Amino acid sequence: MLKTAQKLIAVAKISARANLAYPGEVLGRGTFLLVVLYIFLKLWQATYSESGQSKLAGLSLAEMLWYLTITESMWMSAPKLAQQVDEDVRTGSLAVKLIRPLSYPLYCLSANMGERLVRFSFNLALGACIALALVGPIHLRAEALLMLALSVCLAFLLDGLGHLIVGLSAFWLEDTSGLYLIYTRLTMILGGMLIPLDLFPGWLKNLVVYLPFPYLVWGPVHLLSTPQAELAASFLELAIRQLACLVALSALVALLWQRALRRVSAHGG
Amino acid sequence: MSLLSYLRLAAAYIKLNWRMQMEYKSAFASQFLAMVLNNSTWLAFWLIFFDRFPVVRGFGQADVVTLWAIASAGFGLSAACCFNLHNLAALIARGQLDTWMLYPRALVPHLALGKLSPTAMGDLAFGYGAYLLLVKPDLEHFLMYVFLTVAVAVLFTGFNLMRGSLAFFLGQAEVLSEQWFFSMITFSTYPSSLFDGWVKLVLFTLIPAGFVAGLPPEALKQLNWNMALLTGLGALAVLGFGSLCFALGLRSYQSGNLMEMRN
Repeated sequence: MLKTAQKLIAVAKISARANLAYPGEVLGRGTFLLVVLYIFLKLWQATYSESGQSKLAGLSLAEMLWYLTITESMWMSAPKLAQQVDEDVRTGSLAVKLIRPLSYPLYCLSANMGERLVRFSFNLALGACIALALVGPIHLRAEALLMLALSVCLAFLLDGLGHLIVGLSAFWLEDTSGLYLIYTRLTMILGGMLIPLDLFPGWLKNLVVYLPFPYLVWGPVHLLSTPQAELAASFLELAIRQLACLVALSALVALLWQRALRRVSAHGG
Repeated sequence: MSLLSYLRLAAAYIKLNWRMQMEYKSAFASQFLAMVLNNSTWLAFWLIFFDRFPVVRGFGQADVVTLWAIASAGFGLSAACCFNLHNLAALIARGQLDTWMLYPRALVPHLALGKLSPTAMGDLAFGYGAYLLLVKPDLEHFLMYVFLTVAVAVLFTGFNLMRGSLAFFLGQAEVLSEQWFFSMITFSTYPSSLFDGWVKLVLFTLIPAGFVAGLPPEALKQLNWNMALLTGLGALAVLGFGSLCFALGLRSYQSGNLMEMRN
């Protein structure tokens, strides 16, 4: 168990270091982040001004832009794990990876985690500079930030499992790009990346809390605007929901992987 | 060569590309449907947004449906016919124009028409479907919509030539070209009334999204053919500038000894 954990950490570290080698790519993403955050600022500036309210979903305009900065940084940090798994299955390079002394899904998850944490840190740093320039600082509490960091890690793990499910479906589907597109868009909209869940119509909000999507984006970032008195309870509730989703999605990945292995055929050469 | 001859070439390529896609029917269907669902999800976001805030800067639910119908159909039409231009920067950087240079006639039409994207077909279908089903236009509005989608398709084709040609001058320009494209798409799918001042100027020059999200929805709202014609002229200007960039850049194109098969 300890050895497996050491291997997983080593894979995550290698993946993280590989991503630190491409600062140009990071800068490229920063340009897009600037464009997106500027558009969001203009959209929400107009919305706040025309609604005549200083707070929407409990957030001021500056807090809304910071909310969107974090959600966008999370979203843009997602590596293309599903496409990589799909490619491994389709090209047969999966056979080579099966030789490794580590389960393929676990290898993918830890590499994904290492890469994502680096990308997220860069995006967040860039996004924070942009948000500071556009709307200035907001009041942040240390304990809320710590809880955010923990729940973001769980969210990334959950998203990694979602990507694995999409990628592994390549064993049965001719093309998984459609499924990938649907999964990512559902995460974007139902996850509350573009608009906080509190602004959803009541029926939709009541429905999406039973799906894993809000716990990938909205749940963690929402902690920052949760009142101090409710913070611990909200974090605990979020952690329980995230862990429940983690168990369910892990079981699904395990089942898919078990079935998929029966379909693997490797040849020499 | 006459225009008619090039139109015949375009028809032949479209037919050929369509047949290639039909060899993998289920992959085509899944990508096509996924793009329709993708755009529907975006539209759902806007419907949720405008359900909560009915009018923002003069934009309401009907306007955002029109905006998305124009942007997705225009982009879809361009990418469905000319998908190779989408990856132009990569093709240039890897010396993959060689294959296309062997054909008779001008290089750009062969290169541009060489590939069809199933997801772009989904964009095109979504645009027309959303406009017909949700906006329910009369004949004149529909005719203007068709004109505008063709104009926007011309605009995207010119824009792709422009951003792709960066690779002639900069070498590795894939990231920059991609970011430029994402900026264009993002600005094209948000109400242009949100922006003013120097940003408005940028939206009619460097990132010509004003010809997608600005003039066309307004032209349809007011049934103003002058605005529609202005969109067409803007699109032709971008196509002209894109072609000029490509022609100038092509002079410095360096081929390699890489063996290539067109796909």
